[in-house]
Amino acid sequence: MDYSRPPLADRLAAAYAAGTLRGPARRRYEALLPAHPALRQALHRWQARLMPLSTSVPPVIPPPVVWQRIQQQLGHLNPAPAVQRWWQGLSFWHALSGLSTAAVVGLAVLLAVPEPVQPPIVVVLESTQDVAAAGGVMSARFVASISPDGRAVVTRALQPVSLDADRALELWAVPPQGAPRSLGLIAAQGASLVQKSRVPPGTAALAVSLEPSGGSTTGAPTGPVLYVGKIGI
Amino acid sequence: MPLPAQDWSQSSKELSQLLARVGLGDREAFAKLYERSSAKLFGVVLRIQRDQAAAEDILQEVFVKVWRSAAGFDAAQSQPLTWLTSVARNAAIDSLRRQQTQPQIQARHRVDDDDDAPDAVDLAADEAPGPLELLSRATEARALNHCMQDLNAMQKQSLALAFYDGLSHAEVAEKMAQPLGTVKSWVRRALLSLKNCLEHAQLRDVNAGSPAGQA
Repeated sequence: MDYSRPPLADRLAAAYAAGTLRGPARRRYEALLPAHPALRQALHRWQARLMPLSTSVPPVIPPPVVWQRIQQQLGHLNPAPAVQRWWQGLSFWHALSGLSTAAVVGLAVLLAVPEPVQPPIVVVLESTQDVAAAGGVMSARFVASISPDGRAVVTRALQPVSLDADRALELWAVPPQGAPRSLGLIAAQGASLVQKSRVPPGTAALAVSLEPSGGSTTGAPTGPVLYVGKIGI
Repeated sequence: MPLPAQDWSQSSKELSQLLARVGLGDREAFAKLYERSSAKLFGVVLRIQRDQAAAEDILQEVFVKVWRSAAGFDAAQSQPLTWLTSVARNAAIDSLRRQQTQPQIQARHRVDDDDDAPDAVDLAADEAPGPLELLSRATEARALNHCMQDLNAMQKQSLALAFYDGLSHAEVAEKMAQPLGTVKSWVRRALLSLKNCLEHAQLRDVNAGSPAGQA
Protein backbone atom coordinates (compact mmCIF):
# COMPACT_ATOMS: atom_id res chain seq x y z
CA MET A 1 0.00 0.00 0.00
CA ASP A 2 1.30 3.47 -0.83
CA TYR A 3 1.02 5.31 2.45
CA SER A 4 2.14 8.62 1.01
CA ARG A 5 -0.91 8.79 -1.28
CA PRO A 6 -2.49 12.04 -0.09
CA PRO A 7 -6.07 10.86 0.55
CA LEU A 8 -4.89 7.84 2.52
CA ALA A 9 -2.27 9.83 4.43
CA ASP A 10 -4.92 12.39 5.32
CA ARG A 11 -7.44 9.79 6.44
CA LEU A 12 -4.93 7.93 8.61
CA ALA A 13 -3.67 11.17 10.13
CA ALA A 14 -7.20 12.29 10.98
CA ALA A 15 -7.99 8.97 12.66
CA TYR A 16 -4.69 8.93 14.54
CA ALA A 17 -5.02 12.52 15.77
CA ALA A 18 -8.66 12.03 16.75
CA GLY A 19 -7.68 8.85 18.59
CA THR A 20 -9.88 6.42 16.68
CA LEU A 21 -7.02 4.60 14.97
CA ARG A 22 -6.41 1.84 17.47
CA GLY A 23 -4.72 -1.44 18.19
CA PRO A 24 -2.26 -2.87 15.67
CA ALA A 25 -3.24 -0.24 13.07
CA ARG A 26 -2.15 2.53 15.44
CA ARG A 27 1.17 0.81 16.10
CA ARG A 28 1.75 0.21 12.39
CA TYR A 29 1.06 3.86 11.66
CA GLU A 30 3.50 4.98 14.36
CA ALA A 31 6.15 2.67 12.96
CA LEU A 32 5.70 4.16 9.49
CA LEU A 33 5.97 7.80 10.59
CA PRO A 34 9.76 8.14 10.88
CA ALA A 35 10.30 7.02 7.28
CA HIS A 36 7.40 8.85 5.64
CA PRO A 37 7.58 12.65 5.62
CA ALA A 38 4.23 12.89 3.83
CA LEU A 39 2.57 10.99 6.67
CA ARG A 40 4.23 13.20 9.27
CA GLN A 41 3.14 16.36 7.49
CA ALA A 42 -0.42 15.15 7.24
CA LEU A 43 -0.34 14.29 10.94
CA HIS A 44 1.08 17.67 11.94
CA ARG A 45 -1.71 19.34 10.00
CA TRP A 46 -4.41 17.31 11.72
CA GLN A 47 -2.92 17.77 15.17
CA ALA A 48 -2.83 21.52 14.60
CA ARG A 49 -6.39 21.50 13.29
CA LEU A 50 -7.79 19.59 16.25
CA MET A 51 -5.81 21.57 18.84
CA PRO A 52 -8.60 24.14 19.33
CA LEU A 53 -10.85 21.32 20.54
CA SER A 54 -8.49 20.61 23.44
CA THR A 55 -8.65 24.18 24.70
CA SER A 56 -12.00 23.52 26.36
CA VAL A 57 -10.71 20.70 28.56
CA PRO A 58 -10.51 22.08 32.11
CA PRO A 59 -6.96 22.05 33.50
CA VAL A 60 -6.36 19.85 36.53
CA ILE A 61 -3.39 20.54 38.78
CA PRO A 62 -1.50 17.29 39.28
CA PRO A 63 -0.39 16.32 42.81
CA PRO A 64 3.16 17.49 43.65
CA VAL A 65 4.39 13.91 43.88
CA VAL A 66 4.26 13.62 40.08
CA TRP A 67 6.93 16.28 39.62
CA GLN A 68 9.08 14.59 42.25
CA ARG A 69 8.78 11.28 40.47
CA ILE A 70 9.70 12.84 37.16
CA GLN A 71 12.84 14.38 38.63
CA GLN A 72 13.66 11.13 40.33
CA GLN A 73 13.27 9.13 37.15
CA LEU A 74 15.49 11.56 35.25
CA GLY A 75 18.11 11.55 38.02
CA HIS A 76 17.66 15.27 38.65
CA LEU A 77 17.30 14.97 42.40
CA ASN A 78 20.84 13.80 43.20
CA PRO A 79 23.28 16.38 44.53
CA ALA A 80 25.81 15.17 41.95
CA PRO A 81 23.41 15.23 39.04
CA ALA A 82 23.40 12.40 36.59
CA VAL A 83 22.43 13.79 33.24
CA GLN A 84 22.28 11.81 30.07
CA ARG A 85 24.89 12.66 27.51
CA TRP A 86 22.73 15.33 26.12
CA TRP A 87 24.56 16.05 22.87
CA GLN A 88 24.97 12.51 21.67
CA GLY A 89 21.34 11.89 20.99
CA LEU A 90 20.75 14.26 18.07
CA SER A 91 20.05 11.51 15.60
CA PHE A 92 17.76 9.84 18.08
CA TRP A 93 15.97 13.10 18.65
CA HIS A 94 15.32 13.48 14.97
CA ALA A 95 13.87 10.03 14.86
CA LEU A 96 11.75 10.92 17.85
CA SER A 97 10.20 13.95 16.25
CA GLY A 98 7.70 11.62 14.66
CA LEU A 99 6.49 10.80 18.15
CA SER A 100 7.41 7.19 17.64
CA THR A 101 6.64 5.33 20.79
CA ALA A 102 8.93 2.52 19.83
CA ALA A 103 11.87 4.88 19.50
CA VAL A 104 11.16 6.41 22.87
CA VAL A 105 11.12 3.05 24.52
CA GLY A 106 14.43 2.28 22.83
CA LEU A 107 15.91 5.53 24.01
CA ALA A 108 14.63 4.98 27.51
CA VAL A 109 16.49 1.70 27.58
CA LEU A 110 19.67 3.32 26.29
CA LEU A 111 19.47 6.01 28.91
CA ALA A 112 18.55 3.74 31.76
CA VAL A 113 22.13 3.73 33.01
CA PRO A 114 22.93 7.42 33.50
CA GLU A 115 26.54 8.48 33.71
CA PRO A 116 27.45 10.94 36.39
CA VAL A 117 28.51 14.02 34.45
CA GLN A 118 28.10 17.69 35.12
CA PRO A 119 25.15 19.44 33.52
CA PRO A 120 25.89 21.50 30.42
CA ILE A 121 26.12 25.28 30.50
CA VAL A 122 23.20 26.80 28.68
CA VAL A 123 23.54 30.24 27.11
CA VAL A 124 20.70 32.27 25.60
CA LEU A 125 21.85 34.47 22.74
CA GLU A 126 19.86 37.65 22.34
CA SER A 127 19.66 39.49 19.08
CA THR A 128 21.62 42.73 18.92
CA GLN A 129 20.33 45.87 17.27
CA ASP A 130 22.54 45.12 14.28
CA VAL A 131 19.94 42.60 13.22
CA ALA A 132 17.67 45.29 11.86
CA ALA A 133 20.55 47.01 10.08
CA ALA A 134 21.61 43.76 8.45
CA GLY A 135 18.39 43.90 6.49
CA GLY A 136 16.18 40.92 5.86
CA VAL A 137 17.48 38.91 8.76
CA MET A 138 14.58 38.10 11.06
CA SER A 139 14.89 38.88 14.72
CA ALA A 140 15.48 35.60 16.48
CA ARG A 141 17.37 34.13 19.35
CA PHE A 142 19.62 31.16 19.70
CA VAL A 143 20.23 28.94 22.63
CA ALA A 144 23.63 27.33 22.95
CA SER A 145 24.71 24.59 25.25
CA ILE A 146 28.34 23.93 26.13
CA SER A 147 29.33 20.49 27.32
CA PRO A 148 30.99 20.44 30.75
CA ASP A 149 34.37 19.62 29.20
CA GLY A 150 34.00 22.44 26.68
CA ARG A 151 34.54 20.15 23.72
CA ALA A 152 31.12 20.39 22.19
CA VAL A 153 28.65 23.19 21.68
CA VAL A 154 25.12 22.65 20.46
CA THR A 155 23.28 25.68 19.14
CA ARG A 156 19.66 25.84 18.30
CA ALA A 157 17.73 28.55 16.50
CA LEU A 158 14.53 29.36 18.35
CA GLN A 159 13.06 30.51 15.08
CA PRO A 160 14.54 29.87 11.65
CA VAL A 161 16.75 32.75 10.53
CA SER A 162 16.43 33.72 6.89
CA LEU A 163 19.81 34.24 5.27
CA ASP A 164 20.97 35.10 1.77
CA ALA A 165 22.51 32.10 0.03
CA ASP A 166 25.99 33.61 0.08
CA ARG A 167 25.95 34.25 3.82
CA ALA A 168 26.65 32.10 6.82
CA LEU A 169 26.43 32.37 10.58
CA GLU A 170 29.64 31.92 12.57
CA LEU A 171 29.84 31.19 16.28
CA TRP A 172 32.53 32.90 18.38
CA ALA A 173 33.88 32.48 21.88
CA VAL A 174 34.43 35.93 23.32
CA PRO A 175 37.09 36.18 26.07
CA PRO A 176 36.85 38.87 28.78
CA GLN A 177 39.68 40.65 26.94
CA GLY A 178 41.17 40.16 23.51
CA ALA A 179 39.89 38.87 20.21
CA PRO A 180 37.02 36.39 19.77
CA ARG A 181 37.90 32.89 18.65
CA SER A 182 35.91 31.14 15.99
CA LEU A 183 34.10 27.98 17.05
CA GLY A 184 32.77 27.25 13.58
CA LEU A 185 29.75 27.79 11.39
CA ILE A 186 26.25 27.11 12.67
CA ALA A 187 22.97 26.48 10.89
CA ALA A 188 20.38 29.24 10.59
CA GLN A 189 17.64 26.79 11.50
CA GLY A 190 17.41 23.83 13.80
CA ALA A 191 20.30 22.49 15.78
CA SER A 192 24.03 22.51 15.06
CA LEU A 193 26.71 20.54 16.81
CA VAL A 194 30.08 22.30 16.91
CA GLN A 195 32.77 19.91 17.96
CA LYS A 196 35.97 20.84 16.25
CA SER A 197 37.16 23.46 18.70
CA ARG A 198 37.41 23.64 22.39
CA VAL A 199 35.67 26.53 24.06
CA PRO A 200 38.55 28.39 25.73
CA PRO A 201 38.34 28.37 29.54
CA GLY A 202 37.22 31.71 30.87
CA THR A 203 35.11 32.51 27.83
CA ALA A 204 32.79 35.32 28.86
CA ALA A 205 30.24 35.21 26.06
CA LEU A 206 29.20 33.51 22.86
CA ALA A 207 28.45 35.57 19.79
CA VAL A 208 27.11 34.90 16.31
CA SER A 209 28.24 37.01 13.39
CA LEU A 210 27.09 37.28 9.78
CA GLU A 211 29.86 36.12 7.46
CA PRO A 212 30.38 35.20 3.83
CA SER A 213 29.47 31.59 3.12
CA GLY A 214 32.36 29.45 4.31
CA GLY A 215 32.95 31.78 7.22
CA SER A 216 35.33 34.57 8.06
CA THR A 217 38.66 34.26 6.28
CA THR A 218 40.48 36.67 8.57
CA GLY A 219 40.10 34.76 11.82
CA ALA A 220 38.03 37.57 13.27
CA PRO A 221 34.38 38.49 12.78
CA THR A 222 34.01 40.52 9.57
CA GLY A 223 30.26 41.02 9.54
CA PRO A 224 27.88 42.41 12.14
CA VAL A 225 27.41 40.52 15.38
CA LEU A 226 23.79 39.44 15.29
CA TYR A 227 23.38 37.54 18.55
CA VAL A 228 25.26 37.56 21.79
CA GLY A 229 24.86 35.78 25.11
CA LYS A 230 26.86 36.02 28.31
CA ILE A 231 28.11 32.91 30.04
CA GLY A 232 27.73 32.56 33.75
CA ILE A 233 25.43 33.89 36.35
CA MET B 1 -11.49 30.48 29.55
CA PRO B 2 -10.04 30.95 26.07
CA LEU B 3 -7.00 33.15 25.89
CA PRO B 4 -7.14 36.33 23.86
CA ALA B 5 -5.19 35.85 20.65
CA GLN B 6 -2.27 37.93 21.83
CA ASP B 7 -1.80 36.02 25.08
CA TRP B 8 -2.16 32.83 23.11
CA SER B 9 0.69 33.61 20.76
CA GLN B 10 2.81 35.13 23.51
CA SER B 11 2.48 32.06 25.67
CA SER B 12 3.15 29.90 22.62
CA LYS B 13 6.39 31.79 22.01
CA GLU B 14 7.43 31.36 25.62
CA LEU B 15 6.72 27.65 25.49
CA SER B 16 8.81 27.37 22.31
CA GLN B 17 11.74 29.01 24.02
CA LEU B 18 11.37 26.83 27.09
CA LEU B 19 11.24 23.72 24.91
CA ALA B 20 14.37 24.77 23.03
CA ARG B 21 16.21 25.20 26.32
CA VAL B 22 14.88 21.90 27.62
CA GLY B 23 16.23 20.28 24.45
CA LEU B 24 19.67 21.45 25.51
CA GLY B 25 19.39 20.00 28.99
CA ASP B 26 18.29 23.10 30.91
CA ARG B 27 16.56 21.88 34.07
CA GLU B 28 15.33 25.27 35.15
CA ALA B 29 13.51 25.63 31.84
CA PHE B 30 12.11 22.13 32.31
CA ALA B 31 10.70 23.10 35.71
CA LYS B 32 9.10 26.19 34.19
CA LEU B 33 7.69 24.18 31.34
CA TYR B 34 6.14 21.78 33.83
CA GLU B 35 4.70 24.65 35.80
CA ARG B 36 3.18 26.18 32.67
CA SER B 37 1.78 23.10 31.00
CA SER B 38 1.29 20.27 33.48
CA ALA B 39 -2.25 21.21 34.58
CA LYS B 40 -3.38 21.56 30.99
CA LEU B 41 -1.89 18.22 30.00
CA PHE B 42 -3.11 16.48 33.14
CA GLY B 43 -6.63 17.65 32.33
CA VAL B 44 -6.36 16.17 28.84
CA VAL B 45 -4.93 12.88 30.14
CA LEU B 46 -7.49 12.55 32.92
CA ARG B 47 -10.37 12.85 30.43
CA ILE B 48 -9.09 9.84 28.54
CA GLN B 49 -7.61 7.81 31.39
CA ARG B 50 -10.01 8.29 34.28
CA ASP B 51 -8.04 6.28 36.79
CA GLN B 52 -6.25 8.93 38.86
CA ALA B 53 -3.16 6.84 39.68
CA ALA B 54 -2.81 5.67 36.07
CA ALA B 55 -3.24 9.25 34.85
CA GLU B 56 -0.44 10.40 37.17
CA ASP B 57 1.83 7.70 35.78
CA ILE B 58 1.01 8.86 32.26
CA LEU B 59 1.79 12.49 33.08
CA GLN B 60 5.14 11.36 34.45
CA GLU B 61 5.79 9.36 31.29
CA VAL B 62 4.82 12.39 29.17
CA PHE B 63 7.26 14.77 30.85
CA VAL B 64 10.07 12.23 30.85
CA LYS B 65 9.48 11.91 27.13
CA VAL B 66 9.37 15.68 26.71
CA TRP B 67 12.72 16.01 28.51
CA ARG B 68 14.29 13.38 26.28
CA SER B 69 12.84 14.43 22.98
CA ALA B 70 12.46 18.20 23.31
CA ALA B 71 15.45 18.67 21.00
CA GLY B 72 13.39 17.04 18.27
CA PHE B 73 10.64 19.61 18.65
CA ASP B 74 10.55 21.72 15.52
CA ALA B 75 8.91 25.09 16.04
CA ALA B 76 8.55 25.44 12.27
CA GLN B 77 6.42 22.27 12.17
CA SER B 78 4.13 22.61 15.16
CA GLN B 79 3.03 24.96 17.89
CA PRO B 80 4.53 23.91 21.22
CA LEU B 81 1.21 23.34 22.95
CA THR B 82 0.01 21.26 20.01
CA TRP B 83 3.11 19.10 20.29
CA LEU B 84 2.82 18.72 24.05
CA THR B 85 -0.88 17.95 23.86
CA SER B 86 -0.29 15.35 21.17
CA VAL B 87 2.34 13.63 23.29
CA ALA B 88 -0.08 13.59 26.22
CA ARG B 89 -3.05 12.36 24.16
CA ASN B 90 -1.01 9.57 22.61
CA ALA B 91 0.30 8.40 25.95
CA ALA B 92 -3.21 8.41 27.39
CA ILE B 93 -4.64 6.49 24.43
CA ASP B 94 -1.79 3.98 24.62
CA SER B 95 -2.57 3.41 28.29
CA LEU B 96 -6.10 2.37 27.33
CA ARG B 97 -4.62 -0.17 24.96
CA ARG B 98 -2.59 -1.67 27.79
CA GLN B 99 -5.58 -1.60 30.07
CA GLN B 100 -7.70 -3.60 27.64
CA THR B 101 -5.63 -6.65 28.36
CA GLN B 102 -6.71 -6.42 31.99
CA PRO B 103 -10.21 -7.15 33.25
CA GLN B 104 -12.44 -4.11 33.42
CA ILE B 105 -13.60 -3.66 36.94
CA GLN B 106 -15.86 -0.72 36.42
CA ALA B 107 -17.13 1.38 33.58
CA ARG B 108 -14.69 4.15 32.85
CA HIS B 109 -17.32 6.45 31.52
CA ARG B 110 -20.32 7.98 33.04
CA VAL B 111 -23.61 7.48 31.30
CA ASP B 112 -24.21 11.00 30.16
CA ASP B 113 -25.17 10.79 26.56
CA ASP B 114 -28.86 10.11 26.65
CA ASP B 115 -31.07 12.11 24.38
CA ASP B 116 -31.12 15.21 26.52
CA ALA B 117 -28.87 17.95 25.31
CA PRO B 118 -26.13 18.70 27.82
CA ASP B 119 -27.54 21.35 30.07
CA ALA B 120 -27.25 22.69 33.59
CA VAL B 121 -27.57 19.18 34.96
CA ASP B 122 -24.46 18.23 33.06
CA LEU B 123 -22.60 21.09 34.64
CA ALA B 124 -23.06 20.38 38.31
CA ALA B 125 -20.24 22.16 40.11
CA ASP B 126 -18.28 19.07 41.10
CA GLU B 127 -18.74 17.21 37.82
CA ALA B 128 -16.52 17.32 34.81
CA PRO B 129 -18.35 18.54 31.71
CA GLY B 130 -19.49 15.87 29.27
CA PRO B 131 -17.71 15.41 25.96
CA LEU B 132 -20.43 17.09 23.93
CA GLU B 133 -20.34 20.05 26.27
CA LEU B 134 -16.58 20.34 25.78
CA LEU B 135 -17.00 20.22 22.02
CA SER B 136 -19.56 22.99 22.05
CA ARG B 137 -17.49 25.10 24.46
CA ALA B 138 -14.44 24.71 22.25
CA THR B 139 -16.28 25.67 19.11
CA GLU B 140 -18.01 28.60 20.78
CA ALA B 141 -14.86 29.89 22.38
CA ARG B 142 -12.96 29.89 19.11
CA ALA B 143 -15.86 31.20 17.05
CA LEU B 144 -16.19 27.87 15.29
CA ASN B 145 -19.93 27.51 15.64
CA HIS B 146 -20.45 27.55 11.93
CA CYS B 147 -18.21 24.48 11.67
CA MET B 148 -20.83 22.53 13.51
CA GLN B 149 -23.87 23.66 11.60
CA ASP B 150 -23.76 20.86 9.08
CA LEU B 151 -23.45 18.18 11.73
CA ASN B 152 -26.33 16.47 13.44
CA ALA B 153 -26.35 15.65 17.13
CA MET B 154 -25.26 12.05 16.60
CA GLN B 155 -22.27 13.05 14.50
CA LYS B 156 -21.17 15.61 17.08
CA GLN B 157 -21.64 13.16 19.89
CA SER B 158 -19.64 10.43 18.18
CA LEU B 159 -16.71 12.77 17.53
CA ALA B 160 -16.85 14.20 21.06
CA LEU B 161 -16.80 10.74 22.66
CA ALA B 162 -13.87 9.66 20.50
CA PHE B 163 -11.82 12.83 20.81
CA TYR B 164 -12.33 13.86 24.43
CA ASP B 165 -12.85 10.53 26.13
CA GLY B 166 -10.56 8.47 23.92
CA LEU B 167 -13.23 5.94 23.00
CA SER B 168 -12.56 3.65 20.05
CA HIS B 169 -15.09 3.36 17.22
CA ALA B 170 -16.36 0.14 18.78
CA GLU B 171 -16.77 1.75 22.20
CA VAL B 172 -18.58 4.74 20.74
CA ALA B 173 -20.88 2.37 18.86
CA GLU B 174 -21.60 0.43 22.02
CA LYS B 175 -22.21 3.53 24.07
CA MET B 176 -24.51 5.07 21.48
CA ALA B 177 -26.14 1.73 20.67
CA GLN B 178 -25.51 2.18 16.98
CA PRO B 179 -23.93 -0.04 14.32
CA LEU B 180 -20.15 0.20 14.10
CA GLY B 181 -20.15 1.16 10.42
CA THR B 182 -22.57 4.00 11.05
CA VAL B 183 -20.47 5.39 13.88
CA LYS B 184 -17.32 5.20 11.78
CA SER B 185 -18.89 7.25 9.05
CA TRP B 186 -20.28 9.77 11.55
CA VAL B 187 -16.86 10.37 13.08
CA ARG B 188 -15.28 10.61 9.65
CA ARG B 189 -17.97 13.00 8.48
CA ALA B 190 -17.57 15.18 11.58
CA LEU B 191 -13.80 15.35 11.12
CA LEU B 192 -14.12 16.34 7.47
CA SER B 193 -16.69 18.93 8.28
CA LEU B 194 -14.43 20.44 10.92
CA LYS B 195 -11.42 20.37 8.65
CA ASN B 196 -11.96 23.59 6.78
CA CYS B 197 -12.99 25.90 9.53
CA LEU B 198 -10.48 24.49 11.98
CA GLU B 199 -7.86 25.34 9.41
CA HIS B 200 -9.13 28.88 9.33
CA ALA B 201 -8.94 29.07 13.10
CA GLN B 202 -5.39 27.83 12.95
CA LEU B 203 -4.46 30.47 10.38
CA ARG B 204 -6.02 33.07 12.61
CA ASP B 205 -3.83 31.98 15.50
CA VAL B 206 -0.72 32.01 13.35
CA ASN B 207 -1.53 35.45 11.99
CA ALA B 208 -2.13 36.75 15.46
CA GLY B 209 1.42 35.68 16.25
CA SER B 210 3.04 37.66 13.44
CA PRO B 211 3.83 41.32 13.96
CA ALA B 212 1.68 42.41 11.02
CA GLY B 213 -1.16 40.09 11.99
CA GLN B 214 -4.47 41.37 13.17
CA ALA B 215 -6.60 39.64 15.71
